Amino acid sequence: MLATDSALLTASAIRKSFGGVEVLHGVDLHLARGEVLALLGENGAGKSTLVKILAGDYVADSGSVSSGDKEYSTLDPIQSRALGIRMIFQELSDAPLLTVAENISMGSWASKGGIVSWSKMHERANSALAMLGIEIDSSRLVGTLRIGERQLVEIARAISDNAQVLILDEPTAALSSAETDKLFEVINALRTRGVGMIYITHRLDEVGIIADRVQVLRDGSQSLIADAKKASRLELVKAMIGHEISNQAHPEAGMHSGETLLEVSQLSLGNIFSDISFNLRAGEVLALYGKVGSGAEEVGETIFGLHPERTGTLTLNQSAFTPKNPIDAIRAFIGFLPADRQRLGAFMVRPVAENLAVPSWPRYAARGIITKVKENDAYMRWSELLKIKSRNDPEQPIATLSGGNQQKVLLSRWFECDAKILVLIEPTRGVDVGARRDIYTTLRESAKKNKIGILITTSDHEEVIQVADRVVVMSRGKKVAEYEGKNIDSSKIIQTASE
Amino acid sequence: MKTKATEVKAGDLEKKPGRSVPELAALSLFLVALIVYFSWASEYFLGVENWINILSAVSVAGIIAVPGTMLLIAAQVDLSVGSAAAFTGTIAGIWINSSGVPLGILFGIIIGIIVGVLNGLLITRLHVNSLITTLGTLAIFRGLSYIIGGGQTVMVPDLSYLGLARPFLNLPLAVIVFVVVCIAGVLVMKYTTFGRSLYVIGANPAAARLVGIRTPRVILICFIISGVSTALAGLILTSQLTAASPMAANGLELSVITAIVLGGASLNGGRGTISGTILGLLIIGVLNNGLVLLNVDTFWQQVARGTLLIIAVSFDQLRERWGIKHG
Repeated sequence: MLATDSALLTASAIRKSFGGVEVLHGVDLHLARGEVLALLGENGAGKSTLVKILAGDYVADSGSVSSGDKEYSTLDPIQSRALGIRMIFQELSDAPLLTVAENISMGSWASKGGIVSWSKMHERANSALAMLGIEIDSSRLVGTLRIGERQLVEIARAISDNAQVLILDEPTAALSSAETDKLFEVINALRTRGVGMIYITHRLDEVGIIADRVQVLRDGSQSLIADAKKASRLELVKAMIGHEISNQAHPEAGMHSGETLLEVSQLSLGNIFSDISFNLRAGEVLALYGKVGSGAEEVGETIFGLHPERTGTLTLNQSAFTPKNPIDAIRAFIGFLPADRQRLGAFMVRPVAENLAVPSWPRYAARGIITKVKENDAYMRWSELLKIKSRNDPEQPIATLSGGNQQKVLLSRWFECDAKILVLIEPTRGVDVGARRDIYTTLRESAKKNKIGILITTSDHEEVIQVADRVVVMSRGKKVAEYEGKNIDSSKIIQTASE
Repeated sequence: MKTKATEVKAGDLEKKPGRSVPELAALSLFLVALIVYFSWASEYFLGVENWINILSAVSVAGIIAVPGTMLLIAAQVDLSVGSAAAFTGTIAGIWINSSGVPLGILFGIIIGIIVGVLNGLLITRLHVNSLITTLGTLAIFRGLSYIIGGGQTVMVPDLSYLGLARPFLNLPLAVIVFVVVCIAGVLVMKYTTFGRSLYVIGANPAAARLVGIRTPRVILICFIISGVSTALAGLILTSQLTAASPMAANGLELSVITAIVLGGASLNGGRGTISGTILGLLIIGVLNNGLVLLNVDTFWQQVARGTLLIIAVSFDQLRERWGIKHG
């Protein structure tokens, strides 16, 4: 299967630095015609940098990319397209208000003298869809399709545009298992047509099913290249995380947990997650760990009242808790930080003190009358406790702080209004290393000291190791494991989450 | 390098961000410059009566612009204010003629509340964008004013004494109402959770929901306040003309928005002050008055007003770009 004579794309000794830090240390990549190469690696291992160099989005510092008899030391997006390289992004880049046919022909509409020929457009779309065995009506609006179908339309679009190399970036992250099966059928159809595919995934179980070969990157170097059918899961995990990473959970983990604050029982939400049960105890940091699309985030959101259509029971302080909206949750002293700080968390143009104080306003205000004195005091207090780096001006807009400091302000928001339970979605996403350590320390200390229960949902296994007393592992909407204290181990949780 | 390396460092802590003080300073300077120029160009300009004229001229727009500012801070806009003023004025006029002044005024204000509830519910319950909703109700209220008044101007002689009254400091009633509304507006925006919520809602409605702000309720209340202010404006117009005209306050929404935007409220919501709007109103009032005193053609006055609006909006855009960089 590794017939070098059918070489489709070869990248040699690719190096790339950002701001003086080398993120790819001379990586090779070989792709044969009709081959599926699984590309694995932790966040930041260099996978996306590598494929972006192939797509022409980044220019490599050194190394070369060759295809057929052509060799390039630098590749721009147009050259990359000319080589037939197409990338299917995780975030779909389609036009939901246009039809399937229009999406497939996008940018190269079939036309006669400037007049678009609809019949030709549909013909072309239908033949691309039929070739891949996709049954979707080409006159439907893309926005009305399910997420998996939209992805297939994007693949059809790439194919009708003569794609030779398809880069799929975590294509199954948001797919149901039926949709995943359909995607695999399409991938197999492409394979027989000689299209080479680079398949980026976090799901180790998919590697053996869909890939021919597997290449693992770790810290910008290739740590393993193997036959996908023969590589064991343990081997892959080891190659991904290496041995130098501390597998040791927080030493005193689990020592401070008190009575149960929140009991989650058989919680389900549509086809997002089902039958999730766990307890959150006072004084502990509990991590809900799962890959993107595992449903962990949505469990957190449900506890905060964002999915009132859920089934199952929540018990808070021995009584049933049925939050219908965030206000119900806040009244029950539950605080919440969304994953998307810019869009859902911060009031960017508003002062830091206001950002911190909003949920505490009812407490500050007597009959709706409020002064800024209390919130400014609160800001100064928390900014010292959490080491928030700012001008020490409560009126400074939060947009002028770095991501980590913004996150500290938003965290103080819930400490200030005496939340008893914190639900934090990806609490350190987009946070620099220093601020991340501060946040972990703060979370552990305040859980302990104030006897609050902190639930974080995360897709970062190191975060689990560093902050959690206990971890519930989720995969594809199901709880698959639970570990406590010293039993928390990187390779174990990564493996179970990949099931 | 195991981090999510995409973090953009928004925080250049040394940079002075765009704040309200310099904005208002620039506006105040502009106003002072206008005043200096007109007092040099016209001997009548600085007279007390002329200033009362200026204040009277902006008071109707001003009474509406104060709640209008609150709405824009919450990223909402009420375009129906002009026709709602005519609508409430016409109904109140008819009612005053049949049931007397106090009941008529009360009824006018109740109609104003209903106008606000209607706009507010359409926007918060049906989730129709406020610009479109109030563009619709703008036409509806104007049409209804003609229907109710039979297409005619309704004479309301009983209200004439209110139009002429100068109950305090020799100031016309309209100016007093305007000043009271301004003071109330400043206090509400600074010292009430309601006012502060408007800033938060305008800055990020999705985030406001996640910190427990009752956005629909706050927006509804704000539209009701706007509705009541249109009723006050409608009554004042009726008292000044001693007649309720279905054509009254035509295009008032544009003067109101001009003043608000001139005063520094951001079209994206989240920023703005009542005092800025008051400055904006004074600039418009002084400019109009000065141009009249200098015998500038009324058509050119319109050109001047329009130019002013564009300058104000470009200021807003420049501030967005140079002031706070959104991370």
